[in-house]
Amino acid sequence: MTTMRKLFVASVKMLYRDRLTVFWALMFPVIFTVVFGLFDFDRAPEVRIDVVGEPSAPLYRALREGLGRVESFQLRSADDLEAARGRLADGETDVVVVVPSSLPAPGSVAEVPVLYNGANADVNTFALSAIQRIVGATNLRLAGVQRPPLEVRARAVEGRAIDYYDFLLPGLVAMGVMNYSIIGMGVAVARFREQRILRRILATPLAPWRFLAAQVAARLLLAVVQAALITATGVFLFGARIYGNVGWLFALAALGNLVFLNIGFAVAGRAPNPDAAAGVGNVVSLPMMFLSGIFFPTDTLPAVMQRVVEYLPLTPLLEAMRKVALDGLSITATGPQLLRLAAWAVVSFLLASRLFRFSEAR
Amino acid sequence: MTTDEVAVEVRDLVKVFPAPGGGTLTAVDHVSFEVRRGEVFGFLGPNGAGKTTTLEIIEGLQEPTAGATRVLGLDSVRDRAEMKQRIGVQLQAGAYFDHLTLEEILDLFGSFYPRAVPPGELLGKVGLLEKRKALVRQLSGGQKQRFSIVAALVNDPEVVFLDEPTTGLDPQARRNVWELIRLIHAEGKTVVLTTHYMEEAQVLCDRVAIIDVGRIRAVDTPLGLIHTLPTAYRILFATDREVDPEELRSLPGVKEVGPADAGGFDVELAVERAQVTLPAFLEWAQTRGVSIDDVQVIPATLEDVFLALTGHSLRE
Repeated sequence: MTTMRKLFVASVKMLYRDRLTVFWALMFPVIFTVVFGLFDFDRAPEVRIDVVGEPSAPLYRALREGLGRVESFQLRSADDLEAARGRLADGETDVVVVVPSSLPAPGSVAEVPVLYNGANADVNTFALSAIQRIVGATNLRLAGVQRPPLEVRARAVEGRAIDYYDFLLPGLVAMGVMNYSIIGMGVAVARFREQRILRRILATPLAPWRFLAAQVAARLLLAVVQAALITATGVFLFGARIYGNVGWLFALAALGNLVFLNIGFAVAGRAPNPDAAAGVGNVVSLPMMFLSGIFFPTDTLPAVMQRVVEYLPLTPLLEAMRKVALDGLSITATGPQLLRLAAWAVVSFLLASRLFRFSEAR
Repeated sequence: MTTDEVAVEVRDLVKVFPAPGGGTLTAVDHVSFEVRRGEVFGFLGPNGAGKTTTLEIIEGLQEPTAGATRVLGLDSVRDRAEMKQRIGVQLQAGAYFDHLTLEEILDLFGSFYPRAVPPGELLGKVGLLEKRKALVRQLSGGQKQRFSIVAALVNDPEVVFLDEPTTGLDPQARRNVWELIRLIHAEGKTVVLTTHYMEEAQVLCDRVAIIDVGRIRAVDTPLGLIHTLPTAYRILFATDREVDPEELRSLPGVKEVGPADAGGFDVELAVERAQVTLPAFLEWAQTRGVSIDDVQVIPATLEDVFLALTGHSLRE
């Protein structure tokens, strides 16, 4: 037992004394978390609106007042429609609202043309729905309705709000445990082999698996520290919301880490040197990083790809972590994901034991 | 020799590798020899002669294609676990962990054995005690090599295997490593080393095996090997007189007479044994009234033995 303890302590020291590990495993994901935290994904976009019409007309004043209440609208009066169209074409304004000069005769309808730049998707969705609401409210007022009899009151059934950063944070934790395990473990083992350290250990009575087990245990510890750092940065610095049990979240991170460490051993399997291991590691981890849903939900992918992505190990990990973090579910509710992860743990272990070579090739 | 006296026994060892680009490559070709307990045994041969492969099969790191090796009566394959407890291994160009101190590395490796020598004692032996908190990369080439040898002693082994212990070291560092190997020898341990430096084999080893392209060409003491040469010594002398080569050729043990190739000397005699020819030579000079300004006796080296046995030089 003292051998195992000494091996574990030594493996931990090797990791934490290596500045590259500390940077890539701990600092890099935290920097990512900070950078994403600095963006405000849910702020309404700034919209420049030209309002065309007769400024003294009551309808013009009513609509303009309504539009003026929206904080992110920048209004500008334009008395000439053609000039406003030109500004729209030149990109100097985003939306042109044309106010009829007078109210229509009772029983007939006057149009309020709204012109916009079709290329400006997120501005349009937001601006058009806001303008719709303002015109609707103005309509009611013009019709003499002081208190509208119906009113929408939106209330989230689950009683919780989730924004993009909340969605992203578990993704960043998963990305952290994936990248540094596949590439970090692969490179470390390839280096041990290149330096003939693995062979030197084979020359002692120590069973080689015990050395590898200590390395894995040290990296699991690193994964939990990493997950804790990322989570703490997101929650305490940028107010990310986690509704589930953080302990379960870390347990999932550790389980995922185990799968990725196996993949790291497989990657290092016969790599002749650390650079080759890093190369293969990138080939394995980059597609997962972009396809498995770290940054975007997988249901935005084409249907065929969704099918494929489902079978990558990162996908069930992310799904399970979001179920815990965002839906506040217990780990028991992530059965299907755990099953897929467990399957991956077995497959990746078999893959690693088949591909991994202790000695350098001769 | 009884089994008690044999430290390492190699019987008909063969190792065949698949050659790059198809076919096979016989790295070790029916090698047999014995190493006695307490001796320093050297493998002398050029790079690629099969030294490392032979050593690694004995250490249990590679499987033989055919034949068997035993260390202290234990089979390198079957009794591998027990054997590893009693041997110490220094690998050629082997490194240790980048981020552990010397003390930590020795402590860790010591924990792999039931009984271990304390790190401080080991480091003191090689003058690295004050470096115990240093990392391996902070050591000089010679210090690294001494550390790597002393790391092979953590389990106080009975047999120590050193693969190219002085390759790449400057002369002073090499001498320090030789001192260390003599110290290990003085403790009664058996040392098996490989080298491609004939000087190293000559000064360090009790017995030397000359190996080339996977085959052992000769095994003997350095002197014994040199004495197998038809002319083990050269006698060079300087004189101001014209001498008759035929007279010199008739002296006992003289095989060849020719002009000396060393600076300042005039004649060179290739002889079987210096102690046989030398008195006769001096007597000849006296009776003939040949004044000898200078005389030098140069023994043959293992390099000459290697050349005579293989037809090519060690450095090729």
